[in-house]
Amino acid sequence: MADETKKAEILAGLHDGVVEFDEDRTVEVANEAVAEGVDAYEAIMDGLAKGMETVGGMYARQEYFVPELLLCADALYAALDILKPHLKKENHAEAKKVVLGVVEGDIHDIGKNLVKVMFDAAGWEVIDLGADVKIERFAEEQKKAGAQVVGISALMTTSMLAMPKIIKMVKDGDPNARVLVGGAPINPDIAGSYGADGYAPNAGEAVAAAMAILAQS
Amino acid sequence: MAIDRVQELLSGRQVDRVPLYHFLLGFCARNVGYEVADMYSDPQKSYQAQAWTFEQYGIDGGPDYGYASYGGWEFGGEIKMPEGEWQQAPSHVTFPVTKPEDLDGLTLPDARTAGSLPLAMEFSKLQQQNGVPITVILGGNFSVAGNICPPSTLCRWMLKKPDAAHRLLRIASDHILDVVRLWADTFGAENVIPNLWEPIAANDIISPKQFEQFALPYIKETNEQMLDMGIKHILYHICGEQNANMPLWAQIPMGDPGMVTFGHQVTLTKAIEHFGDSCIILGNVDSSLIQTGTPQQVYEACRDVILEAKDAPRGFMLMSGCELPPMSAPYNVYMMKKAIEDFGQY
Repeated sequence: MADETKKAEILAGLHDGVVEFDEDRTVEVANEAVAEGVDAYEAIMDGLAKGMETVGGMYARQEYFVPELLLCADALYAALDILKPHLKKENHAEAKKVVLGVVEGDIHDIGKNLVKVMFDAAGWEVIDLGADVKIERFAEEQKKAGAQVVGISALMTTSMLAMPKIIKMVKDGDPNARVLVGGAPINPDIAGSYGADGYAPNAGEAVAAAMAILAQS
Repeated sequence: MAIDRVQELLSGRQVDRVPLYHFLLGFCARNVGYEVADMYSDPQKSYQAQAWTFEQYGIDGGPDYGYASYGGWEFGGEIKMPEGEWQQAPSHVTFPVTKPEDLDGLTLPDARTAGSLPLAMEFSKLQQQNGVPITVILGGNFSVAGNICPPSTLCRWMLKKPDAAHRLLRIASDHILDVVRLWADTFGAENVIPNLWEPIAANDIISPKQFEQFALPYIKETNEQMLDMGIKHILYHICGEQNANMPLWAQIPMGDPGMVTFGHQVTLTKAIEHFGDSCIILGNVDSSLIQTGTPQQVYEACRDVILEAKDAPRGFMLMSGCELPPMSAPYNVYMMKKAIEDFGQY
């Protein structure tokens, strides 16, 4: 078992490896965390997730852009692959669930993938449907997973028109489900008019927006 | 076909009112009862649908042919034509380059036969026959590179494998010049207006520093070479959030005058500050608003844009900030013309 100094060093290493998009480092430190008996959940939440939180702030301040975010995500996932098998059962039970996808007819998935990273980093269980998702699948998968939130992305002015139909299907299937939308042609007014519960202008704000709509329920 | 106002502005002469300029292929298909895919796969139908719609809505300029994911098909990838209820334009199925090793086998395609170019050439011959401006629509250098490989791959390479990113930018740039040279040889350089769209270099994706390193040198060099060929005017669609890139864009020659079009994310006051002395400014009514807003909202947004930019030194044309959404309410599109009638007179 690592002493507190060693543990703090490991958590800082995971944080910094993500922020500096140093995949080799996050892998090395994740392995060290396992070897030293650091709790995997703590390593993820207080190391990797904190790192991604820092990255989110840098993105909001336009210090980082999509290329940096993608590489930070690579560093995060490389370490998550090592740490996740060591999570205890109760850690899994606590996770909130979100279904994510880009609507039918739209293949632009960079934004959705970055949103996925943010939810993964925040400890949510993500059901990623990918891009060009048939509109019925969002409600089907939400019901199957019992997900609290459905996140829908669209980059095209045509594909965004599928959103109100998807939102209605989700709500008809589970009135308690909450829907978050985002994407270049969307704004808060459009999100509201489509019946969405929330809107995130970028990946960095998606988790906070999801938490906010859950808090309102 | 009311094309004279565009030509008048390009010639440096005064026009009676702000011209209405559009790129709106999918909307034209719906307007005349064609499939959206026809606009990209059938030059004759595409030209016809646009010509009819331009006449109906009083749109200046002439029909165009092109799409934003240009580059993938031309370099050997696969695209699919738009189908179903939600698709707007051709989209990628596979990319010709997904890993650095793929660059070793990547060669410049033959501009006469590659991908969509034979269709584009057929379309330009229709433009010539009908006496409208001859255009060839390509991605900007960075966007062509980001269509040869997935944009996320190009993003990663900029930071981790910059040599690979530069190799991709080099071949994309050489290809753009090949295509423009073919059009110049066919129609006369002075008659061709290359239209280049640059969505992937937006600050929604890359930083101004990355733009400076990976986009600016290639775009600048390509534009200089196009102008050396005898091209008089280049139209650049500076798509999306590009505020931080504006001082860099301003270093790029666009012709005399050039034509620069902006998304609603860039204020036209800022556009005029950077380009007003050298380019006609086009833009920039929020495309989403034209599709989802009320006629009054669209009218007011057009009024604001017209009043902001109508006195740009080299001229101004009203346009949506990006392609006009195919599902836009027809009355909202009419509002653009109405706003010009009410506020765009000189």
